[in-house]
Amino acid sequence: MSEAYWRWPESSWLREGRDWRDASGVAAGIDVGTTSTQAAIFCDGELHGYANIHTGPDFRAAAERAMALAAGGSGLKTENMQRIAATGFGARNAVCATKFLDEVQCHGRGARFMYGPEATTVADLGGQTTKCVRLYDWDRVRDFVMSDKCATGMGRSVEMMADMLQVPITEMGARSLDVEKDPEPVSTTCYSFANPETIGLLRTGFKEAPYSGNEVLAAYLFAVAWRILGSIGKLYDLDAGDVKVHGSLAFTGGLAKNAGITRRLERALGTTALSSVHDPQLAGAIGAALLA
Amino acid sequence: MVTAGVDAGFESVKVVVLEDGKVLSRALGTSGGLERKKAVLAVWDEALKAAGIPASSVARTVATGQGKYDADFADGCVTEPIADGRAASFVFPEAESVVDIGADQARVVPLKGDGVLQTALSQKCSSGIGAFIRHMAGRLEIGLDGLGALAPDACGGKTVNDGCIVFAELDALELLNQNVPRKEVAGALINAMAVRLNSVIQDKVVPPRDGAVLFGGITKNAALVEALKARSGINFIVPEHAEYGCALGAALIAADEGGAAPKQ
Repeated sequence: MSEAYWRWPESSWLREGRDWRDASGVAAGIDVGTTSTQAAIFCDGELHGYANIHTGPDFRAAAERAMALAAGGSGLKTENMQRIAATGFGARNAVCATKFLDEVQCHGRGARFMYGPEATTVADLGGQTTKCVRLYDWDRVRDFVMSDKCATGMGRSVEMMADMLQVPITEMGARSLDVEKDPEPVSTTCYSFANPETIGLLRTGFKEAPYSGNEVLAAYLFAVAWRILGSIGKLYDLDAGDVKVHGSLAFTGGLAKNAGITRRLERALGTTALSSVHDPQLAGAIGAALLA
Repeated sequence: MVTAGVDAGFESVKVVVLEDGKVLSRALGTSGGLERKKAVLAVWDEALKAAGIPASSVARTVATGQGKYDADFADGCVTEPIADGRAASFVFPEAESVVDIGADQARVVPLKGDGVLQTALSQKCSSGIGAFIRHMAGRLEIGLDGLGALAPDACGGKTVNDGCIVFAELDALELLNQNVPRKEVAGALINAMAVRLNSVIQDKVVPPRDGAVLFGGITKNAALVEALKARSGINFIVPEHAEYGCALGAALIAADEGGAAPKQ
C-alpha cells in the first residue's frame, strides 16, 4: 500500500493582528494523545493560537512540535508562558508543562469554551479512549463514562480500516451515509472482531445480497457509533425520559469529524449536536490551558 | 497445458501462471480495499503480460482466497487450505503439514497422502495479525523491512500483551510513552505475535518438528519467522516465493482433472 489513506490533515490556527508581547499573561495547554497531539495558547484569557498534529512514535517530539506550531513563528517560546498544563495519555512527555491535569476535566472545560455554555454532554471520541462526560450547568463534572477495554482504540481502528478498505479517512463518513438504509452493524464488541468482519462483508457470494462499498462502510461505522451510544446512554436514564441530552451534546476528538459516526449518533439520540468554529480535536488542550 | 491460480487475499492479490508444472510468471498487487474486483483484474493482466501470453491461452483458471468470488474470469474455486496443501506437496513432496500465515488468517493444514482432512484456523483474537504487523510498522515509523530485520533479542527485555492485538497495541503505546526505543517496542511486538501465532499452531493439529512448510506474506518478515521457529520448536521450511503458496496451489489444481468445484 503506497498511499496512506489513514493520514488525516493536521491543522493550526493563529489569531491575526494580535501580538503575544502585548498580553500580560500567556497560558498554554497541551494534550498529548496516543494518536494526535494538540497545543492551545491563550493570551489574557483569549484564544491566541492552536495546533493539531499526528503524535507518531516519539511522544516528546510531538509535544514540542505541537507547541511550536501553535506559536506560529511569532517568536513565542515556552519560557514566555506563565502557565503550561498538560493532559492526555502522554502528558508526562510534555516536558515544558508545570502542571498535569485530568483528561475528563479538560475535555469538559474545553468543550464548554468551544461549544458554548449549553454543552453539558461531551463525548470525546479519541484515538485511544472514548470519554463521555456529563457536566452540571456550571463547570463541574457530574458523571463520566470511559470506554472499557474492549471498546478501546476506536479512533485508531478507524484509521486502520481506512487503510484496509483504501478509502481516505476524510471521505469515509460521507460515503457511509450515501446508502438507502443502514445495514446491520458488524460486531459491536471489539475492534479486532469488527475489522476482519467488515472485510468479510466484501466476500461476494457469502451473503445473499452482497454489500456495496458504501454499505460496508455503513455497517462498520454503525458499529462504532453503537459502542459510543452505549457510553452516552450510561450518563442518562433515557428510558425514564431524561432528555437533558437534547441540545446539550458536543462531540470532540478525531472521530467528531466523521459524519458517518456523528450523524448516526444524532439520529439515535434524536438531537442535533452543537457545532464549533474550532477544530473539535482541540477540546483537551483548550481545557488544559483554561485550567492551567 | 497452461493454467493459472488467483489468490485474492485480504491485503494482496497473487497470481501464478503455470505451464506443465513450470512457473511462467508471478504477479502480486494490492487487494484494492473496496475495489477488489478491479485490483484482481489488474494483477491478472500483469501476470499475463509477464508470461507473454493472452488470456485465451490459459486453459483453466482457479481462484482461491477470501475474495475468490471477485475473480469473475476464473473457471472454478477452491478453499484456501486445499490450495495450500496442494502447493506444499508440490514444492516439498515429503511435507507433512503446511502453515499459511497471511494478513488476515493463520492456518495449519496437516497433509495425509493427497487429501486434507483437517485444518486449524486462527480464532477471533488472533485474526488480522499480518495486517496488524503492517499497521504497527507504520505506527512505529520503522517500516516492514525494518521490522523484519530486527535481531532476535531486539526487545531488550520489554514485553507486550500476547493475548489480544488491541491490548498489545495499548502496551506498545505505553512503552513509547516511557520513551523506550522504538526498536525495543518493535521487538516486543514481534515476540508477542510469535506467541499468539504459536497458540494457533499448537492448538489442534500440531505440525511435526521437521517437514512443515510455511507459506504466506509473513515469510517476508525474517524476524517473526525466526521468533516463531524458536517459540514453536518447529523447523519450518520456507520455500522461495512462499507468499504465492495459495496461488500456486490453485494453479496446480486447475491442471488436475476435475480438481476444483465449478463456479457458483
